Amino acid sequence: MALELQSFWDVVVLLGLALAIAPWFGAYLGRVYMDRPLPGDAVLTRIESGIYRILGTSPRRSMPAREYMLALLLVNGGMLLFLFFFFFDQANLPLNPTLVPNMSWDLAFHSAASFTTNTDFTHFTNESQISFGSIVLAWQLALFLSAATGLAVMAAMIRGFVRKDGTIGNFYVDIVRTIVRVLLPISVVGALVFVLLGVPETWTATVVAHPLTGGTQTIYLGPVASYNAITLLGTNGGGWYSANMASPLANPSAVSDLFAIFIMLLIPFAAPFAFAQIIRRRGEAWPFVGTVLIVLVIAFGLFVAFQAVNNPALASVSGLGPQTNGYPVGQETRFSLPEASLFQVVSVYGNVGANNMAIGSISPVSQMVLLFGMFTQSTPGGEGTGFAMLLMFAVLAIFVGGLMVGRTPEYLGKKIETAHIKWAALALLIHPATILLPFVVAVAGGYVQIDGATLPATAHNFTSVLYEFTSESANNGSALSTSAFNDTTPFFNVTGALVMLIGRFVPIWAMLKVGDLFSKQEALPPSTGTLRTASGTFTIYLTLFLIITSALLFLPVLAMGPLAQIVGGA
Amino acid sequence: MSGTPATPSEALPETPPEIPLPIPAPGSEGGPTPLNPPVVSTAAPPSTGAVGRRRVPRAHSLATHLRATALLLVLTLLVSGFAYPAFVTAVAQVLEPETANGSLLHYPNGTVAGSALIAQNTSAPYLFWSRPSLTDYNTTLGADTPPGPTDPALAQLLNETLNYTREYGNFTVNASIPFWFVGPSASSIDPDLTPESILVQIPRVSEASNLSISFLTSFVNAHIQTSILPYVGVAYVDVLRLDLALLPLEGR
Repeated sequence: MALELQSFWDVVVLLGLALAIAPWFGAYLGRVYMDRPLPGDAVLTRIESGIYRILGTSPRRSMPAREYMLALLLVNGGMLLFLFFFFFDQANLPLNPTLVPNMSWDLAFHSAASFTTNTDFTHFTNESQISFGSIVLAWQLALFLSAATGLAVMAAMIRGFVRKDGTIGNFYVDIVRTIVRVLLPISVVGALVFVLLGVPETWTATVVAHPLTGGTQTIYLGPVASYNAITLLGTNGGGWYSANMASPLANPSAVSDLFAIFIMLLIPFAAPFAFAQIIRRRGEAWPFVGTVLIVLVIAFGLFVAFQAVNNPALASVSGLGPQTNGYPVGQETRFSLPEASLFQVVSVYGNVGANNMAIGSISPVSQMVLLFGMFTQSTPGGEGTGFAMLLMFAVLAIFVGGLMVGRTPEYLGKKIETAHIKWAALALLIHPATILLPFVVAVAGGYVQIDGATLPATAHNFTSVLYEFTSESANNGSALSTSAFNDTTPFFNVTGALVMLIGRFVPIWAMLKVGDLFSKQEALPPSTGTLRTASGTFTIYLTLFLIITSALLFLPVLAMGPLAQIVGGA
Repeated sequence: MSGTPATPSEALPETPPEIPLPIPAPGSEGGPTPLNPPVVSTAAPPSTGAVGRRRVPRAHSLATHLRATALLLVLTLLVSGFAYPAFVTAVAQVLEPETANGSLLHYPNGTVAGSALIAQNTSAPYLFWSRPSLTDYNTTLGADTPPGPTDPALAQLLNETLNYTREYGNFTVNASIPFWFVGPSASSIDPDLTPESILVQIPRVSEASNLSISFLTSFVNAHIQTSILPYVGVAYVDVLRLDLALLPLEGR
């Protein structure tokens, strides 16, 4: 079906709206992390001071990177343990009206690691394997805290650019302010909008219906709207239902789909402007906004274009009407092709990982487009950490660019030295390491099985395994296919959990370390040898640097999976 | 940054007071940083306004960190697990009780027939059929994903659905079956179908009931839903709503 131009209007208007409020919201975010006056201070400052007093900390106590990381690991470690034991014993814990059994230790470990790391990759069927209480009490805690952790890391790293005293902020204060000033108010409003758009919000767990042709059907309900709002805003991407945002209860209409895209874009689009606000140079936001936009628009264009063509593998099915919408297999009726596609691209590129289609059924090129978004991790990437990763790319790009043209590698007046590059390279290289090593072990070790039989090494099976580890390493959480192979085995649970934990906390340590190094440096005045970063040239250079670096790291493995699928069609 | 208008005029007044460091920055490049460098107690963090009057707190001990961690987790849990969902639920139940409770549809006697947002098995000759479901509309099984795009199993699955539909669907000879009517969905419980997928079923429904084709055509057309916003979404029919409206007309 030829795509009509008018079906793109709504997604273009939506992108424009999200961009239009980004500078304002970014400035707000920046002020949150620099303790500047904000609307609502009259009430909220008092609440925050009360919380600081309970915690026994103070905003005047700014931490060096090591202590910041210690606090971060303690909070995240405590959350990991809490989630693990909750899931492991959920049958006996409160709020289990559907009598869900306990999770096995390996599944509980995978799930706890998955939610703690902002990944929200699930190896279970929500309706039958996770209790109401596990979602509302345990999982929802991680939806807030993991998102707040990501934003705190971003804020701490950026502070390094404007500080000279060797400290990067107070982790507890960052978490409290993120939740009180950003996540909670927006989630409440977002949840109520979702209710108006048809999403359930109730404490009734199930309703039994009596279908027209007999039998019964269980309708699973719950506070889905409030869950939706924070899972999307916090780039978590878990779903109340196992169909995630393809479930008609979680995402009932095209309007709710567009609203979900808007929520997902809020913080990622605002992050560069928060950065500019903190360093007090407004122009420095644009190279990052430009890079993210260029990559997103190209990805969206490719995704839609290859979804709109007919699937040649189905030419043999006779008597079928035209394949309107290209690949309607695994798509939902109520979304137009651009609406469904923009959701999927934004969700994966923003490391949300929510799905509104069965991405195992989309065209191979579109699958590769999604994989690429997880390779870069930063266009726009996950909550906070995505932008911090983009800053890492900028540090590397400036260093490499400086070497090429013989200029002093410095960024915002701070010299980029060997130590910065070591840490930035670590954050970059841990990603392929945690994808490719487990991928090789899983495939070569015969762990890729279904119903006890090892799967043949077809291109699609390769892609499925590659996607699994890429999604986990990038803390994304989207799954290519739940039926391609059995990923609920102890091997995939434990390996996956370790991949997620390493893929989360090693880059975070590197980001804090780079912020720490910058925080100990005096800012130098700009000289004639300084590379101008607030420029179109730097934007294009950064975009190309990011695309080429990511492509080079992963080209061999792409050739075995998606590329072989595109060329060979098997 | 030579020649760049870098500093925004609005931000100028907010420039925090630059606090000169009394001693050089702690830690040598690359060397290990002590956990709590002593400099922290002498150099005030620059971000807050009221520096100087009050004493800067001492570095947190491990015990303070553990206590803060535990309390932070408890406080966040109270908000995320109780206050937040309870508040939103309370408002939602007042604001929009019908959708907040799952958009349930009832029989005339009040029994719950289903949800307008969940497909169910309606494959009786006198009803309009829903989109096929890989989980047989069993919501407890969650969603099952269709075979991959290049997998031969996909064409096989479509052929099987197509043959079943042709055998029991009583379609006009040579009518081509709309793709949406046989292609599996993402949620396995997609409640909607494209209008053409409904219209193609009219001959069967007409034969199984006493309703004429022209009546059913206008009946279906009256149930086509579009989005509340222009240029958003596609036209579709909610199958369960349609069938529930159809039953009394058929005298069932």
